[in-house]
This record gives sequence, C-alpha cells and structure tokens, in this order.
Amino acid sequence: MDESTITYNVFHHVAWGTTISVYFWLVGASAGSFVISSFGWVFGIKRYKPLALTASITAIFMLMLVPILLIWDLGKPLRFLYLMLPGYWHATGPMSWGTALIFSYPIAMIIYTYFVFKNNPFWAKTIGIISIILALSTHWYTGVVMELNPGRFLNHTALAPLLFLTGAFISGIGLLILILWVQNMIVAIKNRIEWTLIEEMAQYMMYGLVFDAFLLFLDFMQTLYGSNSEVMGHEVVLMGIFRFPYLWLEMVIGLIVPFFILVTPLKKFKAGIILAALLVAVGVYGMRVWWVMGGQYLQTFY
Amino acid sequence: MQEEHEIRRSYGLQTAGSKGVAGRKRYAMVIDLRKCIGCRSCMVACKAEFGIPLGVWRTWVKEGDKGSYPNTRRIFMPRLCNHCDYPVCVRNCPTQATFKHKDGFVLQRYNRCIGCRTCMVACPYNARHLIPAKRTDKNLPTMVVDKCTFCIHRVKKGLVPACVQACVGGARIFGDMNDPNSEVAKLASKETLTVLKPELGTSPSVSYIGGDWELMDEPHSYTNRSKYMKEEFNTFKRNHKGDAFGDIVEGEPTMPQVGQNMVGFLNTIPHKAKGVYDAFVNFLFK
Repeated sequence: MDESTITYNVFHHVAWGTTISVYFWLVGASAGSFVISSFGWVFGIKRYKPLALTASITAIFMLMLVPILLIWDLGKPLRFLYLMLPGYWHATGPMSWGTALIFSYPIAMIIYTYFVFKNNPFWAKTIGIISIILALSTHWYTGVVMELNPGRFLNHTALAPLLFLTGAFISGIGLLILILWVQNMIVAIKNRIEWTLIEEMAQYMMYGLVFDAFLLFLDFMQTLYGSNSEVMGHEVVLMGIFRFPYLWLEMVIGLIVPFFILVTPLKKFKAGIILAALLVAVGVYGMRVWWVMGGQYLQTFY
Repeated sequence: MQEEHEIRRSYGLQTAGSKGVAGRKRYAMVIDLRKCIGCRSCMVACKAEFGIPLGVWRTWVKEGDKGSYPNTRRIFMPRLCNHCDYPVCVRNCPTQATFKHKDGFVLQRYNRCIGCRTCMVACPYNARHLIPAKRTDKNLPTMVVDKCTFCIHRVKKGLVPACVQACVGGARIFGDMNDPNSEVAKLASKETLTVLKPELGTSPSVSYIGGDWELMDEPHSYTNRSKYMKEEFNTFKRNHKGDAFGDIVEGEPTMPQVGQNMVGFLNTIPHKAKGVYDAFVNFLFK
C-alpha cells in the first residue's frame, strides 16, 4: 500500500454558514421580486403595473432582514460601521463593494416604491432604472464574494454570478407568486391580480429554470472533468455530505418537479402553479446551502 | 533576468511582496521534514507565547502513516500561516484589518477586525481562526480573527519565532530569504523546496524540504483519514456548534443541522447585543 493514512490533524470551522446562505437567498428573492416590479414602470409593460407595489414591498421586506443577519453574524457587530468609514474601507475587498451595494439598493428601492405609490411615472422610471442596476449588482456581488477565493475550488468559477442571478430571478418570481396568491385571497375582488398575469410569470420562471439547468450542467461538467480538488468536491461534497441540498432540494424539488409541472397540463391548475412556485423558492435555498457551506467543507480537513 | 519577468501584483492597498526585491527583507521559514519528529513542541510553544485559546491553533503538525508493515513510516508536516507574498486574505479584507508588512509578515490588527471572517474564507491554508467569545483573560481580544505573526515581536529583537526556538530537531529554520548569507537562503539554493498549493500563485514564505504529496494534498486529507480521525472530526463539530454556523456533522442528515446552525446563530445574538450595549454605555457614560 503506497498511500498514506492521515492519523492526526487539527480541524477547522466552516467560516461562513447558515446565516450567509439565508442572506444569499433573501437578497436573491428580493432582486427577483424587484425585477418583476420594474416590468410595469421601467420596461413599460403596462399589465404588470398593478403588481409593482406588492413586488417592490416584498423586495424591500426581504432586504430589510439582510442587515440584521449580517450585522449579528459579525464577531463584533457594532464594528459594521468600519465598513463605511473612509479610513477603513478597502477598495480591493469584494465585501467593501457589497457594503456599498447593500446600503444603496434599499434606499433606491424605497424611493422607487414611493414614486410608484404616488403614481409618478417619470421618477418611478428614472429611480427604477437605478434600482434595477443596484438590484442586479447586489446579487451579482453575492456570487462574486464567494467566487473571488481561488482556494475554494467549488466557488471559484465565473459561472457563480450567473448562477446566483438566475436563482434570484426564479426564486423571486416563485416567492412573488405565493405572495400574490395570498394577497388575492385577502383583498377585494376588484383589486385582485389577474390569474393570467401570474401564469405569465410562471412561464418566465420556467424559462429561468431551463437556463438554471444549463448553468448547473456547465458547472457539473467543470467539476467532473476538473482538477483533483474539483472532482473530489463533486464526489465527496456535492454527492456526499451535501447530497440533499444539491441533488434533491435544488435539482429534483427545485428544478425537475416544477419544470414538469410548468410544461404539462398541470400548469392550468392554480394549485399546480402555486406548488411549482413554492418548490422553486425552496429549491433555490438548497443551492445557497451547498454553495456557501459545501465550498468550504472539504478544506476544513486540510 | 528572472526578476524582470516576474509578475508584480499588489494584493490590496498594502505593501507588495518583497520576494527578491533589493533593499527589502523577506522573512521566510524552511521546514526540513526529514528532521521533524512530530513532538509538537512548536504547537505548545506557540500556545504558550500567545495564550491561544482551546480549539484553535496558529500552528499545528499534521501526521500520517505511510505504507504497511514492515515497510512503513510515520510522516509529519508542520503547518502555519504561509505569510504569502500575494496574500488573498489581505486583498479580500474589507477593513484593512490584515496587511502585508514590508518585511514579509502578514499581520492582523485586532482593533480593525470586525469578525466577518472573509479572510478565513479567502485563506487557502486554513491558517486563520476566530478567537472564541470566552477567554480566561478578559483583556485579550475575542471574536476577531487571529493568525500566526511569524513572532514579529521576537524577530524585531533579533530572536527567532517561538516555534523555531522550541523545535528540538532543528526542523524549522527561519531567516531573511533576500539575504544570500542567511541559513534559509542557503538552504533554498541547495535543497529542493516545495510549497503548499503553488498553483494558487500566493507565493508562500513557508517552504518544505522532503514534503510528501499525500500530506500536502487537500482531497487526500479527507479520503485517507483514519477511522479515529473521522470520529474526532464529528466530535469536534458537535462540541463547537455556535463557534461557527456552517459546521455539518458527517453521516447525519444535512438540513436539520442547517436548521440547528440557524438556531445557534440566534442564540448568540443576546450575548453580542450585550457587547453592543456595553460599548454604548462605555462610550456615553465612562
């Protein structure tokens, strides 16, 4: 036997864990909801105007939870202020860019929502354009902050921001469909959102699922034909420890099943679309879990 | 000639690496694994020098068994911060808490560290750790990231780092790699040196003589663990829940543990909130 057996080593923690995965999911859902909100006021698709307010309020609420998670996740919570002080701010740190985005995005979004509420098309569109750039950038950053760590082979891929943005788009729509469904049950009949609109959103979600599957396939090929670490990451982490969030939660529950619902006559049933939306929103969280924790897992033995 | 072709990168806003730069020092360590006997004096010396809390290490000695009886051998590999010339941790730190010293040390400023653990994620070598919340000496920092300093406080007084001083086999050799008369430079010129993960381009200042690839390989550390190590790992993860929120015990369902990690995070909030309250009280009334 030529190979050695490791008999002693010290162990290490996974530095970023559940809190960060929840944060990634929340930012994604927020960005996705906001994209839908902007359809009416920024891109001029008038039939989406009625749901703009609900969508942007959902996006704001999702994002409001983020600083709570992130600040209390710090070892020294009060020192989050350092992230914004000129003498401390570090231009090369991805987290520095993220801080700027996470603080500016909700402000822009609140102003946009105000103008939507006031029915002011000019300012809603102007601020909406800025907000949508910030929304996409904020979620782009969540992919980048993990990507720019060359030592984390599972995260170090240029697909990361795209995977995150696609996940954001589908989970945001999924969550919004659920919220609109609940809203329709509560509000008066005249204020209800037309079901055809929700069906159309589900159709967009289906396109997102196809693109997501394509990206996951690319990532799968890279890990399968990759370096020793990447192959091991795939075998041990994704198909081993994180098999449930990766294979079952993301692929099966969050991708294959909702896709099946949305391409078969099941989509004609209200329950079918609601179920697909729920599964997509939950399934994307599976991706957040393996992406954050799985990428760091193998190295904790090293 | 070599220097002309070397790509000079500045990782972050701080000093660029000093490898081969005239007029600058580049403190480095060569670890001669042929001489390492695995006594772990270096670990003890480091713990004693800095009062490192339980459960975290600035340096440690990885150990493995090669072959099978009668052709077998026990191998060791001391690990510590590589004080890279191009440290990813320095580049990624959002508050400039960690920086590259002009003489090659990668250092941590506790007063700037916010405990975001970006550097821990960035470090390819696991060389960083978060200091636990509870320490015996209340005056020492907690919940900030800590790392090996190459004992800069000793080196600046003309001494070698504590681990080098304590090494009974003389396996750890320390000095200025830019000084051709130093012991490390002489070793570097006549011995075959290897570094950990050279493909990452971090240009580590810690190099090894007689390194075994099986100890240096990251996936191998997982796949070829002994049964005892597997149990130890799970015990470590179970006992330290709350120190980090991403630890998953192997062989148990993943998602319930993810939920438990979230509960663990919520449980730390009152403790941290008390720290914030105390800081306000100190600022306003004292």
